[in-house]
Amino acid sequence: MSRVRRFFRTYIPFSRAGIQEAVVYRANFICFLIGEIMSAFIMYFVWKAVFLSSGSETFMGFTMEDMVVYLFISFLTGYLTYSDGAFAVGEEIVDGSIAARMIRPCSFEMCFLFQELGNRLISVSMIFVPIVAGVEIYRYITCGELRFNIVYFLLYIVSLLIAYMISFYFNVCYGFMAFFFKNLWGTTLIKETLVGFLSGAVVPLVFLPSGLAAVLNFLPFASLSYTPVMIYMGMYTYPQIAMRLGLQLFWMVVMFGVSKLIWRSAVKRLAVQGG
Amino acid sequence: MRYFRLHRIFIAQYLKKLMEYKADFLLGAVGLLFAQAIQLIFIGIIFSQIPDLRGWTYEQILFIYGFSLISKSLDHLFTDNLWMVGYRIIRKGDFDKYLTRPINTLFHVIAENFCVDAFGEMLTCVLLLCVSIPKLNMPFHWYTIPLWIVAAIFATLIYTSLKIITAAIAFWTKSSGHITHMLYMANDFSKYPVSIYNRFVQIVITYILPFAFTAYFPASYFLTGKDPLFCIGGTVVAGSLLFALALFVWNRGLKAYESAGS
Repeated sequence: MSRVRRFFRTYIPFSRAGIQEAVVYRANFICFLIGEIMSAFIMYFVWKAVFLSSGSETFMGFTMEDMVVYLFISFLTGYLTYSDGAFAVGEEIVDGSIAARMIRPCSFEMCFLFQELGNRLISVSMIFVPIVAGVEIYRYITCGELRFNIVYFLLYIVSLLIAYMISFYFNVCYGFMAFFFKNLWGTTLIKETLVGFLSGAVVPLVFLPSGLAAVLNFLPFASLSYTPVMIYMGMYTYPQIAMRLGLQLFWMVVMFGVSKLIWRSAVKRLAVQGG
Repeated sequence: MRYFRLHRIFIAQYLKKLMEYKADFLLGAVGLLFAQAIQLIFIGIIFSQIPDLRGWTYEQILFIYGFSLISKSLDHLFTDNLWMVGYRIIRKGDFDKYLTRPINTLFHVIAENFCVDAFGEMLTCVLLLCVSIPKLNMPFHWYTIPLWIVAAIFATLIYTSLKIITAAIAFWTKSSGHITHMLYMANDFSKYPVSIYNRFVQIVITYILPFAFTAYFPASYFLTGKDPLFCIGGTVVAGSLLFALALFVWNRGLKAYESAGS
């Protein structure tokens, strides 16, 4: 018990620092959010035009209502599971301050994790309720009945938390690329576009050719966004949900293991430039 | 004339720097190419199910998309350093450097960087136009090519001016990169026909943040030959007005600027 308490006593200050950071930069966050949510609205208008043009009630099995729920919940999921510990690792390697972190008596990724959780606390509480409420009100108006399902919602939260951990460790791995590429702008763009597409954030994976969709469903990227969103929408049966959550856990363990391996080999290669 | 010569020297200087970091350039360009490719896959999936999008065919949509990249990539290529003004240069106190040189500050900031990453967008742009134009039956006159050039220049000015204005806010607030980002993101609205949006969005992207004039309006003129006055004239007016405003804000900002460095 005392070990648990010591663990939290060590890392909670990092969360507090994260919260303070978020408060100082709140204007940045709000502007960033408005910029990002615009792309969700562009997609909304494009899909509306698609449904009007097709003259059919469904598009590859999705109704307009499904599409709107998919768009905004996948925007929310993408936002909540976004992790940029990668940049911090990269910057610290470039400016050499990683050396100071390596001699501290605490795990470097736990520091990042707790700092990021604190940093995101305020923004999450600001956007989570409005988006979920907005989506549900939209569904209520278009269907005339309450579609909100508390069981699916709770399972979505579980899936979301695992997705965040996968994303966190994936981005820790990616952050180590700074050992090899000294500039991260281009690689980050490539990574984010690819992950966005492979995770189903651009189009639902069921819209893709079935062979490709089957492969992507198994890859870790689907676990980042597609799985939680489909759970929220009630597109899976309970046995399917159990399988998807199991797959998510599997990828979480894999990412964790890979990040540990890279860390070990990267430490050996590290040459701090300047000081 | 002196400024043209200076610009050449700046670019030559920049290209030397670039040769040092070839991998960086390649990754940046590939990244932008990827980002565009994914969007095109999305459009492809949509059109696999519908014959047209509110009356616009697949080729027409590709043309509008390609056209939107002309001004976006030109602006990206030449004026990328404006981002840094709002994100870093003023906050770190590095802006003082520009004030000590005997050339226009705005010119100096812009000329200092030459963002070759933009070639990724340019390549997509050329590919899209080459694929779509032969399949479209577009009206062609002797003045079509001059009008393309005029439209491209003033559409680019719309992008650049919005970036100058939002970067200049940092003269007062020290940092404004997030404001540039917020407004810049609205440019994605210009990739699709304005008619798919609701009234509110249409008014905003036509009259307030006139991104519709960077792509949809001029592109629709070249596609249909209708409304040249509004489509091309509007681009010229929007570009000129915004640029005048940008110069005004920049100069006011310079007067208000107090160094932030130590």
